[in-house]
Amino acid sequence: MYFEVNNKRVFASTGGKCFDNNKPAIIFLHGSGLDHTFWGLHSRFFAFRNYAVLVPDLPGHTNSEGPELKSIEAMADWLNDVVEALDLDNISVVAHSQGCLTALEFASRYGEKVRSVSFIASGLATPVNAALIDAAENNPEAAIAMMLSWGFGHAGHFHQGPIPGNSMVAGGRKVMGGNPNSLASDLRACDAYKNGKEAAANISRPHQVILAGADRMAPRKAGMELVNHLAKPELDIIQKSGHMVPQEAPNDCRLLLKNFIFANNPSS
Amino acid sequence: MYGGNISLMKNTLPRFGITTTFVDPTNVDAFRAAIQDNTRLIYGELIGNPGLDILDLEGIVAIAQENHLPFMVDATFNTPYLCKCFDYGVNITIHSVTKWMGGHGAAIGGVIVDGGNFDWGATDKYPTITEPYAPFSGLNIWEEFGPSAFATRIRTEAMREFGATMSPMNAFLLLLGLETLSLRMDRHMSNTKELLEYLSGHEQVSWVSHPDLPSHSSHKLAKKYLPKGAGSIVSFGVKGGRDAGKAFIENVSLASHLANVGDAKTLIIHPATTTHSRIDADALVAAGITEDMVRLSVGLEDVEDIKVDFEDGFRASKKIANA
Repeated sequence: MYFEVNNKRVFASTGGKCFDNNKPAIIFLHGSGLDHTFWGLHSRFFAFRNYAVLVPDLPGHTNSEGPELKSIEAMADWLNDVVEALDLDNISVVAHSQGCLTALEFASRYGEKVRSVSFIASGLATPVNAALIDAAENNPEAAIAMMLSWGFGHAGHFHQGPIPGNSMVAGGRKVMGGNPNSLASDLRACDAYKNGKEAAANISRPHQVILAGADRMAPRKAGMELVNHLAKPELDIIQKSGHMVPQEAPNDCRLLLKNFIFANNPSS
Repeated sequence: MYGGNISLMKNTLPRFGITTTFVDPTNVDAFRAAIQDNTRLIYGELIGNPGLDILDLEGIVAIAQENHLPFMVDATFNTPYLCKCFDYGVNITIHSVTKWMGGHGAAIGGVIVDGGNFDWGATDKYPTITEPYAPFSGLNIWEEFGPSAFATRIRTEAMREFGATMSPMNAFLLLLGLETLSLRMDRHMSNTKELLEYLSGHEQVSWVSHPDLPSHSSHKLAKKYLPKGAGSIVSFGVKGGRDAGKAFIENVSLASHLANVGDAKTLIIHPATTTHSRIDADALVAAGITEDMVRLSVGLEDVEDIKVDFEDGFRASKKIANA
């Protein structure tokens, strides 16, 4: 669906169901250069179980009007503007990679409406190599190829997802290729974000961390830093997955999200 | 074009309100001239059957993009090993995987490959993809799935409701074959190259047609789009006409007399009386099919064995031709 935030047009997938803000809400946050399609296998599951599902394209990504937001803090502020614009309450935030940094800031600063936070494949910070940022600015195709190569583990590279015939890498290339300017902007925002420790310490709502055993973008060591700075995280590690957990191990990931969200933000 | 597809487009689809304008595939401007307000798709075979004309992919892609139409290519005869159509801007490819992809003629199957590179939402021409889809609670497939919208739409309707779902055994056999595609295609092409030389120099052969031959009208396009070789289908004429051709086919024994193509085994057939028997005389001429034409699908055998086998056939055809 489309709606306006700060006089800019925003698109958000609602998981194939009409959006009803009277239901408990789940907001899915995508990673750098991506969009709502990243969460296609998960958003529908919760939308069909009586949740108000919202999977926004960040400003400047795919269907949402630009310009891109330049910092993680700005993304958190924008997310709060989305929450206010749609009058949402009882919110579960589910975030992947860059989205986790936004979720950290959002939940620490605007936590009163939050019921749970799920962090997937992230640490407290996402330092980005200058060469990758440079490639994203000057040769986005090369940057996208590098990120997809590192981002996907065995299942992604060998097309072993649950959708027969689907190429996760090719899908990623198409989505990220459609947002070439956003990628550089996102990576710069990730690299500049330094407030992870403080934000993590401020999160009082139930939170879970899902890490990937074969993650080459946010390695387990970085993920454990996040775990160690959160108050009481539920930790699960999906050994076989690369960084793109929601796509590479969707069933395992969905089960963990389901158990956690159903327990902490139940829907009727 | 494949005879079954001509029949589908000429006879079956019009019953569902879908009509087709047929054009000369070697004339790019003919594609442009045929586009009407209600045109929704441009379709062609990269390597035509059995004339082996090659489509000018980039020329047709440009026309498709000018008119904001998806371009679908039947890539059965080339497989992705010989030409990656998406690299040239094609939007959708289809393959009969019964042929080279499976490689053994052991199972029937087909695939549709969505290149994810067509903007379905840029016009209102494709409401079944870009408007809410009632059976899925009003799901807007284009908005939700973006680059994979077309594939998703096929899964939601065509596979579920029309029954176009492969049996597990067929899928197993075809995937098993796919594992050796590169090895087989190299052998198909080296055998084809040898047989082109053999047939071109044979006294009982009146003509040989293959895009890798400089005499073929699509030779330039073949070099551009199919540098590893323009497939392993060869057409040739047997001196002595229809009866001599029949004698040739009946007197070879290693090569199988079959309508299939792209098998591990060498296959031969007489198109005018088999694969294209249900299309009318004008369409036969348009497809470049003559009565003396033998269509050869070059297999993986030792090429010297194929030549020895063909010599048996040519001895028989020579007797008819000289009678």
